[in-house]
This record gives sequence, C-alpha cells and structure tokens, in this order.
Amino acid sequence: MTDRAERIATGGLADRMLRLVTMRHSVAVVGLAVLCALALMTPGFTSIPSLYALINTASFVGCIAVGMTFITLSGNVMSFALGAASGLAAITCAWLSKFGLAAALLGAILVPTAINALQGFVIGFFKANSLIVTIAALALINGAAEMVTAGQTIYVEGDILDPYKGKLLGVPLAGIAFLICVIVGQLVLRYTQFGQRVVLVGSNSRAATAAGVEVWRTTTWVYTLAGLFSGISGVLMAARYGAGTIEMGAGFDYTAIAGVLLGGTAVAGGQGSVTRSLVGVTVMAVITVVLLLRDFETQYQYLLTGLIVFAAILAQGRFRS
Amino acid sequence: MGAVLEVVAVSKSFSAVRALHDVSFSIDAGEIRALCGENGAGKSTLIKLITGLHQPDRGRIRVGGQDRQIRSPIEAQLLGIASVSQELSVIPQLSVLDNLWLGHRDVPFFHRLSKFRRRAHDVLALVDLSHLSIDAPAGTLSLAERQLLEIARMLVRDAHILILDEPTATLADKEIERVMTALRRLRSQGKSIIFITHRLNEVFDICDSVTVLRNGSEVGTHRTADMDRPRLIELMLGRPLGQMYPASSGRIGDVALSVRDLIVPGAVHGLAFDLRRGEIACLAGQIGSGAIDTVRALAGLIYDATGEVVVAGQRLRLGSVPGALSRNVRFVSEDRASEGVFRKLSVQENLLATQLGMLGRFGLLSRRRLMGSARRMAGTVRVDNARLRDLAGDLSGGNQQKIAVGRSISGLGEGVLLMNEPTRGVDVGARAEIYALMRRLCENGYAILMSSTDIEEVVGMSDRVITMFRGVSVRHHERGAINRQDILAEITYNKFAEAS
Amino acid sequence: MKRAFRLLSSGMTRAVWLLVLMVVCSFVFDRLGLGHFGKDTAFSVLQYFATFGPIALGLGLTILVREFDIAIAGMFGLGGCIAVLVGRLDPLLGLAAAIAVGICGGALQGYAMVRLRLSSVAVSLGGLLTFGGFAYVLTGNRTVSFGRMDIALLVNTPILEIFSLRSLIAVLLVAIAAFFVSCTRIGRDMIAVGGDRQAATTAGVKTEAILIGTFATCSMLCALSGALLSFSLSAASPAGLSDISVPAVAAVILGGASFSGGTGRPLGTAAGVMILGLLRTGLTTLGVPPYVHDLVTGGVLLSVAIADGNDFARRLYDLIARREASMSSTR
Repeated sequence: MTDRAERIATGGLADRMLRLVTMRHSVAVVGLAVLCALALMTPGFTSIPSLYALINTASFVGCIAVGMTFITLSGNVMSFALGAASGLAAITCAWLSKFGLAAALLGAILVPTAINALQGFVIGFFKANSLIVTIAALALINGAAEMVTAGQTIYVEGDILDPYKGKLLGVPLAGIAFLICVIVGQLVLRYTQFGQRVVLVGSNSRAATAAGVEVWRTTTWVYTLAGLFSGISGVLMAARYGAGTIEMGAGFDYTAIAGVLLGGTAVAGGQGSVTRSLVGVTVMAVITVVLLLRDFETQYQYLLTGLIVFAAILAQGRFRS
Repeated sequence: MGAVLEVVAVSKSFSAVRALHDVSFSIDAGEIRALCGENGAGKSTLIKLITGLHQPDRGRIRVGGQDRQIRSPIEAQLLGIASVSQELSVIPQLSVLDNLWLGHRDVPFFHRLSKFRRRAHDVLALVDLSHLSIDAPAGTLSLAERQLLEIARMLVRDAHILILDEPTATLADKEIERVMTALRRLRSQGKSIIFITHRLNEVFDICDSVTVLRNGSEVGTHRTADMDRPRLIELMLGRPLGQMYPASSGRIGDVALSVRDLIVPGAVHGLAFDLRRGEIACLAGQIGSGAIDTVRALAGLIYDATGEVVVAGQRLRLGSVPGALSRNVRFVSEDRASEGVFRKLSVQENLLATQLGMLGRFGLLSRRRLMGSARRMAGTVRVDNARLRDLAGDLSGGNQQKIAVGRSISGLGEGVLLMNEPTRGVDVGARAEIYALMRRLCENGYAILMSSTDIEEVVGMSDRVITMFRGVSVRHHERGAINRQDILAEITYNKFAEAS
Repeated sequence: MKRAFRLLSSGMTRAVWLLVLMVVCSFVFDRLGLGHFGKDTAFSVLQYFATFGPIALGLGLTILVREFDIAIAGMFGLGGCIAVLVGRLDPLLGLAAAIAVGICGGALQGYAMVRLRLSSVAVSLGGLLTFGGFAYVLTGNRTVSFGRMDIALLVNTPILEIFSLRSLIAVLLVAIAAFFVSCTRIGRDMIAVGGDRQAATTAGVKTEAILIGTFATCSMLCALSGALLSFSLSAASPAGLSDISVPAVAAVILGGASFSGGTGRPLGTAAGVMILGLLRTGLTTLGVPPYVHDLVTGGVLLSVAIADGNDFARRLYDLIARREASMSSTR
C-alpha cells in the first residue's frame, strides 16, 4: 500500500510545488511583501519618528506575542489576560519604583509571572477550559487593579527607568529587548525538552499523555513563561510612559494573537514558532503605523485586526470535499 | 432475479491512500452475504459508500436496478438501506425511545407520539430488550444492551437492504443466537443482508455466500457451502495461515510482571496473572470484556485502577504514565489515530516522544543525539531513514503502527511491552512485520502483554492466553492447550445470565 | 421514582435549588434588616435577566451541541450599534436589522466551521474580533446616542411591578427555547449532535444544518439583547469582552451545562442567570464599589470553570485516595 509520503517524495516537480504552495509561512511572506510595498508608498513612513513609533509599538505587543505563541502552540488557543498582566506589571513597576530599581524590576516581573502560573496550574491540573479561565482572570485582574490603584495613574518615582527608554546603537531599547525575547523564546522552543513537550501537547494531548508527558506541568510552565514575557512588556511600557495604568495593555491580546496567527502558527496547536510570530507582529505593527499615517482612526485598526485574525483562521481550514 | 444492490467498479482514495480499487459487488433479495477481509482491506470504506457517508471517486452504485447517487445517510435511508455500525452510535443523553427513532425520516416535528412508542415496544421485543424502560437514558444501558439497541434501530427502519458491521462484538452466545434468529426471519421475508464479521464460524453458520476483500480489491465471491475455513483465511490473507505467525523460541525467563487483584471500576473486577520474560501473553476478550482496560490500567492511564502490580521485584504505582515508563513498562495504544501517533509531527519526533529526558542534560535537547537515536529506533522497526522527516499522518496504517511500537522500544532491554490490538487497521504485509518484531523483542528479553479481539491473532501469537468475559477472567491457557473453539466459547460465555 | 431521582441529580435541578436557596436567603436578609430586598430588587434582577438571559441562552445552545461561541460579546455590541444606527429611521427596522445581522453572522461562523472543519473556538474567535471591530467602526469608537426616550420608556416601564417589556421578551425566549429542546425533533437532534456527533450523522441526523442553525440562533439572541439594551439606554457603545462573557459563561455552567458533556438545558441556564443577577443586585444593595462586581463574578466563573474541569473528579479522587492511604499507614 503506497502512502502519501511516498507519493510526495517520488512525485515530480508538480507534486513538490503543490506542497510548497500549501505551506503555512507562504501566507506571511506574501503578506509581508505586499505590506512593504504599501508602507514604502506611504508618505512619512520612512521618517525616523515613525520608525521609532513602529519599533516601540511592535515591542510592547511583541513581547506579549512571544508568550502568546507558547500558549497557542500548546493547544490553548490564546490568553485574554496577558495584556492586563502587562498593565499590572507596569503599575507594579511604577509603584515599587520608590524602593529602587531592583525592587521595581523584580516586582514587575514576578507579579504577572505568578498570576499566569496560577492560571496555567488551574488549566493544566484540573483541565479547565483555557479561554474561560483567562477571561475570568481578566475580570479579576481588572478588578484587583481598580481596587489597588483606585483608578489613579501610578507614576514612576524619579528617573530610574529613564535608561530603559533610551537607544542602543540607534535602536530603541524596547526593540532590542523584544528581539532578545524572541531569541530566548525560540531557543527555548527548539533546544529544550520543555519546548518539545509544548509541541507534543499541542499536537495531540492524549498521545502526549500516553507518551509519558505530564501535561499539567508543561501547561503550567507555558503560562508562567507567558507571564514572564508580559512582565517584560510592562516594564518597557512603564519606562516609556513614566507611569503605569491598567489600560496600558488593554487590547494587546488581540493584536498579539493576530500576529501569532498571521505568522503561520496553527490555532489548533502543535505547529509554529516564535520567529514566525516575530514576522506576524512586525506585519501588524507596519499595518498600525500605515493606518495612522493615512489618518485612519483607531477603530479601523480594531476592525482590520479582526479581519486578519478571521482570514488567518479560515486559511488554516481544510476544505471538505 | 435481479440484484437488489450492485456496486460496480468502485474506487475510493483518502488523500493518496487507496482504500478501494475497482471493487464490484452485488447481492440479491433473500440473501445473507458475509463481507470478510483483514483490517484495512476496505470493508468499512465499502459500507460507508453504500450508506452515504462517502462518495466513490469512480464507479457506480445501483439500487433496484437503477444507478443512484447516495450523498448522505438520509438518502441511503430513503433508498431502503439501513445499517449497524461497528462503533456503537448510541447517544447516552437521549432516551431509549429517542435513540431508536433517531434520524428516522418519518419522525415529525413533535416527535413523541404514541404510535412510535408502540412500534418501539414491538421492535425491542425482537431483540430481547423488552425489560428496558423506553424513557430511560441510553447511558444507563450496558454495552451489550446498546449493541442490541443499535440492531433494533436498524429493524425499525423497514429497510430491505440491511448492513451489519460486527454486530456481535459485545454479545454473549445467547444474545448472538437471538440476533441470528432475527436475521434468518428477515431473510425469509426477502431482505438482503450484508454481514461483516471476524468470527468465521458466524460466516459458515448463517451466511449464504461470502465476498472477500484484500488490500482494497475484491478477491472472490463464493457460496459458503463451497468454502471451508482454511481456504477462506488464505483468501483473506493472501498467504497460507502458517506464514503469518512466527514461531516462538521457547526460552522463558523469570516473572517480569505480576498482577494481583486488579480492579478497574466498572470494567475489571479482580484479575490476577503473571507474565514472564520471553513470552507473549494475551488477554482475549470481546469489547466490554475488560481486556483493553486491564492493559491501559497497567500502562498508568486509568487513575482509579487499584491492585498489586509488581515489576521486576518492585511495586508499580498505578495511575501514572511517567511512573510506568520509569519502570520500563511501555504501551502501544489501540487507538492509533488519537492516542498512538502525533499525525502532524514528523516520524522522528514521534519516535522520540517518550525519550526526551534522555536526549540532553539540564533539560536541554541535543539535536545531534536526537538524530542518532531516531535513526537507531527507525532501524529496529525497519522504517526507512529517509522517512524520518515525513509527517506521521502521511504514512500508511502499518507504518504508523510500526512507529508507535518503535517508540516504545527504548533500547534499554528487559522491558515490558503492553499492546492493545497490535494490528488493528494494519495491512497484511505490515502485520507480518510487526509479529516478527514482537518475537524478536521477546528473544531479547522483553515480556509482552497484549489484548486482542482477533481470534486468529490470539491463537497464532500467544504463549499464554487468559480469556476474559465482562470484567472477569474465565480461564488461563498455556501453550499447547490453546485452541480456537474453547477460546471463542469462553469469551462469549454468559455465566451470569444463567444465574439471573 | 427512579426518574425523579435522576432529575434531582441533574445539573439543571441543582441550579434551580441553588436559586431557590438564594431567594430564601434574600428574604431572610430583608427580615433581619441587613439590606432591603423587595419588589424593586426583583425588578433589578429581572432587568439583569433581560440583558444576560438571551446571551446565556444562545451560548448554552452552542454548548449543548458541544461547541463554544466566543463571539457573543462582539455580536452583542454590534447588534446594539446596528439597532441604534438603523433605528434612527425606524426603531422596528433597527431591531429587525440587528436580528438579521445576528442570524447572518452566526450562520457564517457555522458554515465556516462545518465546511472548513475548523473548531468553533477558532472560528468564533475570528467572529469576536470581526464583529467587535465592525461595532467600533460603525460607532466611530464612541457612544452613539439614540435620542428616542419614548422607546427607552416603552422598553423599560415596569409591567406588573417587576417585569418590563425587555425582561418579558427574555422570559418568552427562554420558554420557547426550553420547549424546543425538550419537545421537538430539532431539540432531540441537537442533544444527539452534542452527545456524539459521528453517531448522529450516521443515524441520519442533519448535523451540519443543526450546527449552522445553532450558531445563527446564538448570534441572533446576542444581537437582539444588544439591540434591546441600546434602546433602553437610548445609546449604544462597543461592549467590553469580560463584561459580557464572564456572566454569560458563568450562568451557563452554573445552570448545569458542561464543556465536556454536550449537556445543559435552557431552564438551567435561566436559573444560572437569575443566580448571578441576584448576586449582583445583592452586592449593589450592600453598597460595594464597582470593582467588587468584577472580582465576584470573575471569582464565580473561575470556580465553576475549575469544578467543570475534565480532571476535577480525578484530582479529587487522588486527594481522597492519598488521605486514606496515609491514614491507613499511620494506623
């Protein structure tokens, strides 16, 4: 009995071209090319201020997207609470800034990491529905932030965070931090046993269990990692704006998942990578800046994000014959 | 007498895997035809074409002398075709009455009229289910009762072409006799019946003729009066039976696995046996016997299983797969598609899924060690190294099963291999390879415990057989005292019906 | 007798008992002077039911067929915006337009799900962002006022002291849905599709039509609820995700549905909504700051999500087994 693999391997040029066309990252490459063309045609795009705006926007959402990628890869689709976690991180950073830089950074990273670890534990240990848990977490985080800040913006004490909004070799530090997150994320995914377990769990969690993977442990670590990256995003935002509010991360989850799916990571889990999300997030950021420069208000950004997510998901379907 | 149903030169492929090739088949009124063939021969696919779940790529289907396009189960119903599928399709949340009438085209919008209730009682009496309350949720029924309910659902459809796919898989001999009586009556009424079974004695018992499929092609249609068992098997396998199952070397070592008082709530009620190195022991039983659950419990997949299990002298804690793996107790699932293989991952990733801890230090993954291990494991199960990067889902059932077995062999030697239905859905060629692999492993010190519903496989491969019926072991057979008739009788033996 | 016992242990009955308990507690609180619970409280609770009843009902139907529509918040917002924008011409037209958009949007999701073999979560995620995005664009990202106070009064005026037109519509919808699911062939087919989809298809149930219809109904109900709320506030604005999703999902699971089981009945969902409504009104009566509502409903949702988890029973078993093991070893 011949199987499909044999057919493809022994098939001619036509078979191989067909395989190439249906590969997922062709979507992102085509999209990127089209977008570059559009962007370069927009007046003001290549100016330095707008490029800086681009890099900053991409970095705040991008760090979250790195964490989101792990969540999507593990088969949990997305988290609705990563943006709120980063907002909480920004608040914590600003609030602890009066105790010094170390305390501010440490607190800002630990708080969202712990909150996400808890979510990951609940989702993994009890096999609770991941979307519901993160929606509940969103409500809880918003409520807690409101309770703690009484609606006030928390300002950073002094200028201890100023170095973090500067530039290194002409590139905004936020962008460098984002790139480091991407590199670390990709290395963890490809070169650690944990990373491979994430792929196994996302591909088929029953088979992963039968293969001896402790799914709940992997799930907990996935969300913990996502929390860590959200914390980094929060610190970057606190540095950039000199303050922390819960609104800072609002809506980032949608842009992040759009970037992840646009990059070609499968919404069902088990396929994709952090570098793909880098591409997707960059595309999303370019779209945002182009829209801004062409005087489209923010609501068009929401709609476009929605249409992109919808289209990316539909493109991942398999046609019923 | 014209044929009631004709399948003419039909072919069907599923993404480059050819399930049926140029198959022709016809059946008359008042005929019971057996459809026989090994796993993966194409029987289920042929049935799905006739019942409208799939459409043929090539060829025609003629019903009552006319060409028909059967695009859905509803259209099949309208043509007078009814079926009982191999996977039980009783909906637990609905009542017995609702299950009986599910999907029936005559049921109106307000569906609980008294005429449906009356007819339900009539049909249930035919299959000896009159003791059931028709308003009870079907989830409270036992497996055997559910199977009989499925047959009743088919009977309520007034169809003239009836298809039964393994309709006796969970039944005890008294219940089987009931079903046979019902079928004989239907035959005398002029109905046409297609009967798929692995139990060759049922073929000779009730069927007028038999069609054999092999590797997607039709290899012969004969009257059962003109056939005998060895010829039928040879037709199904494409080779004499003696060449399928490799002989045992006979070297048996110490006890590798010892089980006492194994209880799986609802499935196994206290099982005990020993397994020695170098031997293949088989738990023989039909669906619902507890054989599959026993193996899964030993693999650590059932959290509320209890019992005293000792592996190589040390107690094994049940309910944890990593725990079992750490004691070199490895599992090959009966459900390859959703539990055995990662279909969207490469062959290499599949082979290494259980080995991650050994591929690097401090939680890292050494890509170099990865390649080396993967090559070694592929070699052990005779899978080409060139295939390592292919997606597992693109491979044939046989190759997938070889991978599923391959990843369980860690190379640490002296393990226990637990296999549920080791050759389900695997073509004949790959089956022989897997059997040879199992014997090789035993010669290297492995102990293998398998469960199977295929009597030939049980008889051909086992050094020891433990027959099971509805959660309890019936008898232990040693090599030399394993014979087909006894085993078949024991796995359908209904001790408890006599007592109640 | 057996039937009664079975009914008693079903999730829906548990919800009803819980609701009865809470009503009794409120009476007790009232008598003890801890807070005032009277006819106006009932009115508030039913107004809450008017908003969340249809949404939870729709979501419950998708969970019944073992799917999950996460686009409810998006469609709710979009329904409200369309109703207000088109309603400037004619309120009834606005309502009809919102319902039509709901049906089309839901059917589109259902169709994509069935034809492309995608999970409902994936498709409705796209729907959530798209419908929500449309709502933002149509309203220009700000609150759009309706200006028809007469409509707002019509929809909100107390009828029989505790109901309003809106809440009566919601009650009617629940009654229709409950009747449909229990007494018609379509309802039976929905339960079949939710119980075992492959089995239902093989038996001859029109599974694809059922799925598309269920999603169309769910979106329609959300759009309708959004439209009526906009009429009653005489304004529309894009809705927040957690404001809608948290109570809706919590209500459905409280009402006895489960993500794993394809279970859940309209009456149970209705009881779940009433429980949350009573909780919210009670908190308001006690005078708590608004963020407590977020914390409480979020906490309720988290708790029911844990209790509904697939491994919850198993973890409980492990805990009990370990306690028994350690107790027997110390003896």
